[in-house]
Amino acid sequence: MAVVLLPGMLAAEAGGQQRFELDAETVEEALRSLPISNLIFDERGELRRLVNVYVDGVDMRDRDGLGTALSGSETLRLVGAIAGG
Amino acid sequence: MVRILVGTRKGLFVLVSGDERRDWEIEGQHLQGWEVFHAVQDPRDGALYAATNSFVYGPTVHRSTDLGATWTRAEELGLPEESGLKLEKTWHVEPGREGEDGRMWLGGAPGVLFRSDDSGATWQVVDGLLKHETRERWMPGAGGMCAHSVQLDPTSSERMYVGISAAGVFRSEDGGESWTPANQGTAAEFLPDPYPDVGQCVHKVLLHPQRPERLWQQNHCGVYRSDDRGQSWERLDGNGLPSGFGFPLALDPNDPDAAYVVPEYGAENRVTVDGKLGIYRTRDKGASWQPMTGGLPEQAWASVMREGFSFDRLDPFGIYLGTQSGSVFVSSDGGESWSEAASQLPTILSVEASAWP
Repeated sequence: MAVVLLPGMLAAEAGGQQRFELDAETVEEALRSLPISNLIFDERGELRRLVNVYVDGVDMRDRDGLGTALSGSETLRLVGAIAGG
Repeated sequence: MVRILVGTRKGLFVLVSGDERRDWEIEGQHLQGWEVFHAVQDPRDGALYAATNSFVYGPTVHRSTDLGATWTRAEELGLPEESGLKLEKTWHVEPGREGEDGRMWLGGAPGVLFRSDDSGATWQVVDGLLKHETRERWMPGAGGMCAHSVQLDPTSSERMYVGISAAGVFRSEDGGESWTPANQGTAAEFLPDPYPDVGQCVHKVLLHPQRPERLWQQNHCGVYRSDDRGQSWERLDGNGLPSGFGFPLALDPNDPDAAYVVPEYGAENRVTVDGKLGIYRTRDKGASWQPMTGGLPEQAWASVMREGFSFDRLDPFGIYLGTQSGSVFVSSDGGESWSEAASQLPTILSVEASAWP
């Protein structure tokens, strides 16, 4: 089971749940199964530009992006881009 | 019990008082992390709605049926792929009329209106505006191309208005199916033709609840009143108003001839005039304006967003003003005197009173 960790704002939107354990073959499948998927994907189904996803500490863009395969032992961490005041 | 819903750059706050509106308690911070462009309490069932935006997670709408203790979020909200557009921001939530159970309206950017028939769970874009024949001549203002004013005629289930910056005012006579520009007489001095049919930078439009054929408008280029459902507008600046530029607008629910504005110098200097927080009132349909400054700070370079002004329906009615510097001012005597109900809040984007007799 892969583990997905949400930042506080998304965890609040998920009813307070920060940690999810789920079966998924890819990063995309994991993200789309989250109850907050309509916050991280826009109305075209595209991942919002400022949502960063780290797979075992590595930016998924440095792997295969949303298509990055999961074996079931990974930890995915979602992090909103740092900006603003 | 009076509640003022105060939308800020950093969540929602609720100011609560008894009907005397003297002592206020602050509840919140709700919706942490969200920019609350506008929040409203539905007079039909008491639910709270908030037009919420995040620079990371995008635009959405939140709803609470327990006065902010818990919130649910819109499940379906977006623009169809064939439009080539994406929803940029949510700006204004407007409950439907009494008897229109579950009906909600939502204005957003880029110049779009949505309708919900299930209390905000799912939203359908209003095609008549999305595909309006004049859309190519609309343009965004500094805040984006926002649909920020949604006004429903209480005497007609079919008539409604929307204000979009910078597209103008549009009226529907068929429940939102089709829309007619309603901008005759309002200026767009930043365009080569200063009186086009569309393209006006309307900042706020309000319909008077007792005389719904009368509309008031604060525009980028002046203050206006229409007595014929927006078919023609009369410009009302001067005669006591130091500037025609401003954003918010408030009305007296018992007097269709009265209105309140907060003038700013102009587009290039968006602060209140003469270093004072000046609220101006007319009681003669805009023929003359008087400053109403009792109790307001005597030295202030304030600015008030288009949603930062509101009024309730009590008798005497209350008026509420929220500044970008985080203060909420309240008057319960028609603007003669003001008191500060809250200060040091985050930047205030909207103020909405909820009190019904």
